[in-house]
Amino acid sequence: MAYVVLRKDRFDDFVSALSAQRKVMAPVSRGYNQFEFDEVHSGREIALSYIPTILPPKKYFMPQRETLIQFNSDSAEAVVDFYNMVILGVHTCDLAGIQCLNMVFSERPKDYNYLVRKNNITIIGLECNDYCDKYASCTLMSAELPNGGYDLFITEFDEYLLFHVSTQTGEDIINSVGIFEPANASHMSRLAGYRRQKRSIFNKELPVDSKDIAALFDKSFNSRVWDGLNERCLACGNCTNVCPTCYCFDVIDEPALDLTTGRRYRRWDSCQLEPFARVAGGANFRESRGHRQRHRYYRKFSYPVRKFFRYFCTGCGRCSRACMANIVLKDVLRDLLREHQ
Amino acid sequence: MARPKAAFFDFSCCEGCQLQIANFGESLLDILNVIEVVEFREIMSEKYDGTLDVAIIEGSINTPRAVERIKAIRARSKTLVAIGACATTGGVNGIKNVFPLDEIAGYVYGGNFRDYETIQTMAVHQVVRVDYFVHGCPIYPPEFVAVLKALLMAIPYDVPDYPVCVECKLNGNVCMYDRGVSCLGPVTRAGCNSWCINNDNICYGCRGMVSNPNETGAIDVIKQYGLSIERIVNKLEMYNKCRELNPHG
Repeated sequence: MAYVVLRKDRFDDFVSALSAQRKVMAPVSRGYNQFEFDEVHSGREIALSYIPTILPPKKYFMPQRETLIQFNSDSAEAVVDFYNMVILGVHTCDLAGIQCLNMVFSERPKDYNYLVRKNNITIIGLECNDYCDKYASCTLMSAELPNGGYDLFITEFDEYLLFHVSTQTGEDIINSVGIFEPANASHMSRLAGYRRQKRSIFNKELPVDSKDIAALFDKSFNSRVWDGLNERCLACGNCTNVCPTCYCFDVIDEPALDLTTGRRYRRWDSCQLEPFARVAGGANFRESRGHRQRHRYYRKFSYPVRKFFRYFCTGCGRCSRACMANIVLKDVLRDLLREHQ
Repeated sequence: MARPKAAFFDFSCCEGCQLQIANFGESLLDILNVIEVVEFREIMSEKYDGTLDVAIIEGSINTPRAVERIKAIRARSKTLVAIGACATTGGVNGIKNVFPLDEIAGYVYGGNFRDYETIQTMAVHQVVRVDYFVHGCPIYPPEFVAVLKALLMAIPYDVPDYPVCVECKLNGNVCMYDRGVSCLGPVTRAGCNSWCINNDNICYGCRGMVSNPNETGAIDVIKQYGLSIERIVNKLEMYNKCRELNPHG
């Protein structure tokens, strides 16, 4: 049972049945062409046609603020808050982002908070048939086509949704809802045609081979491009907070007013912020905004290649979309390329 | 352990920040378990003129009499906390400093203005040493509690030195600029959990600016969104005018 078909007029029934089983998170419209993953109870609430959400689905794997330990004056207890949930409608760029985070948090020492939550999340992917907007560079980052990392994966056609069933969890969902039909040869040939069509729409967004980008960064550390970013960046941290692969966090002990009980929690941090690399005595290892931007780019295109053998950019375009100063990732890469032509 | 003796005092302000504390509801009882409030004019009649463990100051300093009064409070207080924009940044009272002193005094008091001694508006730290800051107009109640806890543990409270955008993004809000509205979040220090934007309002910059704002970058952004620099400067002056006097106190 690799592929099954759901008539579009049954999509609402599917979501309702799913939400009766567990929490369902999906993209919903926030107006102004902005979307966000949120809990839904029916298919009508879901924006199936959406551009990347304000925050990526990483917020369900590593919440913005997350309690790690509850303590009192003589003992402490580790805490993992999690829900059994389905994230429905995850684009291929965000599937790639989750794959990156899985690698990071599976490293020893393993991050049990992340892994427990991940084990309770079912992912239903959703294919893009066209670019979301000019900021995307998913083809350059090889994230325009499904490449695993999901339980079920939806490709949308005019009158039906074609589901690829990838895991036992996905198959259990299909069986439990029971409103699917098996896919036949004509469905499969339509999928092949759809993917052929995609190849003519999704083209490498910059004139560089993906594999050569790491080498470009090897010779770009002292580039003038970073000085330009120093002038423009407001250091607001939008780019990292919306990034599907940024995972830096700060850990804070927060006592209650009785000063004997309390909790330790973590919250997202950002290398772009003024205090991030400030240490005791007031020295700052990355005082200039340009150096902080450079660090962000190296954390996407250079350092993870050495450590995890892949880029930590998925081409989703969120950092460019969210940048007040209009610092666009594709433009920065293009400028670096031009310096070495 | 005896509860530290704490007193609330107000200078030029609307007393709205003290009202925030008075309105804490049940959590006010938790606070009263850990501090002994010996003076709080807005909600009690008792006065106290002895040594204080904690003086909590609302309001900005803008008369010679206020300078003497805040110095006397400082002298008898082990710890001093400035609460609310008026106290921590000069607040809206700082707009007074936009005008020559005589001109603005004449505007307010008419021909007899010289009978009312007045000086440029200052934040509390521009007059006496301040140990803790609770920014905002009004203060954000959870931050007041966080500062109180730091004070009780005798550790510093770090006011976030990054813009409101950080907390706003973590809250998944649609950016006001994407809604076609200008907002001072990008240059205003966080710590309020983007309280206003969460409630569909813009950031007015009431917490004061981050320590190292990128002014050239901000001007680029203002131009890019087709806004007038003058209008944004006006907006910034609402809470930030005193910054140019002596930003670090």
